[in-house]
Amino acid sequence: MTAYFGGCDVGSTTGKSVILKDGEIVADAIIKSRIDPEETARLVMADAVSKTGGIDRVEDIAYLVGTGYGRNEVPFANENISEITCHSVGAHFCDRKIRTIIDIGGQDVKAISVRDDGSVLEFAMNDKCAAGTGKFFEAMSRTFDMSIEDFSRLPLKANRLVPVTAQCSVFAETEVVSLISRKKPPADIAAGIHAAVAKRCYTLARRVGVRPKVTMTGGCAKNAGLMQALEKVLHSEVTRLDYDPQLVGALGAAVLAMRKCDR
Amino acid sequence: MSRVSETGFSGLLDLPLNRLVDKARDEGGRIIGYTCSYVPEPLISVDGLVPIRMRAPGVSGTPLADTYMSSVICSYTRSILEFALDGFYNELDGWVFTASCDHLRRLYDNLSYLENPPFNYMIDLPHKISEPAISWFHEELKLLAGALSADFGVDTGPDALRNAIAKLNSFNAILREIGEMRKEDTPPISGRDFHEIVAACASSPKYLLKDKICKYHESLKRNDGTDDYRARLMLVGSQLDDPEYISVIESVGGLVVADRCCLGSFPGLAHIECGTDPLRSLAEHYLAKTSCPRMMEEFDSRIENIIGIAREYRVDGIIIETMKFCDCWGVDSGLLVSALRDRNIPVLRLEREYSLSGEGQIRTRVQAFIESMGK
Repeated sequence: MTAYFGGCDVGSTTGKSVILKDGEIVADAIIKSRIDPEETARLVMADAVSKTGGIDRVEDIAYLVGTGYGRNEVPFANENISEITCHSVGAHFCDRKIRTIIDIGGQDVKAISVRDDGSVLEFAMNDKCAAGTGKFFEAMSRTFDMSIEDFSRLPLKANRLVPVTAQCSVFAETEVVSLISRKKPPADIAAGIHAAVAKRCYTLARRVGVRPKVTMTGGCAKNAGLMQALEKVLHSEVTRLDYDPQLVGALGAAVLAMRKCDR
Repeated sequence: MSRVSETGFSGLLDLPLNRLVDKARDEGGRIIGYTCSYVPEPLISVDGLVPIRMRAPGVSGTPLADTYMSSVICSYTRSILEFALDGFYNELDGWVFTASCDHLRRLYDNLSYLENPPFNYMIDLPHKISEPAISWFHEELKLLAGALSADFGVDTGPDALRNAIAKLNSFNAILREIGEMRKEDTPPISGRDFHEIVAACASSPKYLLKDKICKYHESLKRNDGTDDYRARLMLVGSQLDDPEYISVIESVGGLVVADRCCLGSFPGLAHIECGTDPLRSLAEHYLAKTSCPRMMEEFDSRIENIIGIAREYRVDGIIIETMKFCDCWGVDSGLLVSALRDRNIPVLRLEREYSLSGEGQIRTRVQAFIESMGK
């Protein structure tokens, strides 16, 4: 019987899981994180397992790697590996030419420099501040009274950029309310917000060195406006992976699980 | 993840002035607080003086201190001022500072202004290690010796100093031997526990701890040690007096086998050579051995020192922990990272506050660092 390998990424905002069989992705799942990380892990793994068509229980997975902030809480996990390593391996699995990753999750931002073999050469993380993370974008979209998906596309309609100076999520909200009341076009303000976040990512990425190919992972990599802003500050293309960027950490965990058993 | 201490010393770190300090006071000792490794401990150990390294364990914010010191002053100095304003150090008989950095100088200023301690002394400190600088520092120590004699009526003469140096050397020799056990493949003591002991010794009257340390040392000789670790690490940085910080690092498989911190084994436990003029010997020792980034033109010797220790203790990687807004380490750490990487030594830089926070983030960074080394 062919073995199944799993990766479970328990993040602050979402839980993600990926299951591999014969080196191919056979199932994946994303759910909103519950308060209890263990519950998140159970639910998201059960969701993915139900999609495999081959196994019925998480226990049937030959090797499971937990990752993300709740990596210690993944039931049935054979081991846990940091999300930094998992994003590196996951992105490299998708595209072997990736050398720089900017991972923007729900509550943190990471820049990762990747070795030729997909392992981590160097990394940098944001500090305790939520500026520029998924939470920041959630707060901003609430200020604009639109869904996060609509907000992420809003900068694409901008004619010019209204600079937003505040990096703090709280102060940025105040500044944006003030700009809206001054009748600045929402799309231009949104462009300013995304540009500010992109600059912050760029600063982080420079600490590890920006080498092509560059990609974005994490939930915020689905933000088209941010992707565009990042390409502008980097002066280079940001590679869109063929796989859901939000699942790259879980994918890396599953790949590492598979490699454990290949040895 | 923190765990229950097994050393038996943890109870000495819960309070800024522990029960042994109270005991020393009851026995007639005069307690002198100090905050920097450049303060020559033997000079404030003579004739019933008891040196205690100042800590602010459990500090949970510095609202009062922030009123007087800018929030871009390091959190160690702000925490000490906060505790001083809260009255935690009221039992001290005096303070001795060195002008080692601007932040500690502001602590001294604010302490004088706000609390007016009975004895509050600042030693000037040259920024170079040279013959004239040692002579200058020697003169500074003479002035401190005079002030101590005048205020406390203590004997700071050569024999008293020789005796104090011998006692400290004898005490530190035991700690050094414990520290050197960490060179083994299966060290009998974790980095966390070693740090707990060093911090407890700095926070307590040493004469009341010596028997306990000796017994602990003997017990370690019978300990088989542990090979349950993924990577041997060295910790480099400034003021670190909370063993739980190291516990977090070790919870993801690192074992801190060597350190170069203000309260660590290097250079704080080095043997003091005592010549014909003990005060001069102290000036030479403390100026030359303390190895702080505040010193000019000493980067090369500092990096060689760190690399030498790393090799001696066979470390896999080095973690540089710097306190936010620390001018000296903030500048030096960038250069250190580059210099260590140039020599293919894996290095991780962690910025932190004085009190432990963001354990999850520390864990993620250290785990990724260990994984990046292929461990």
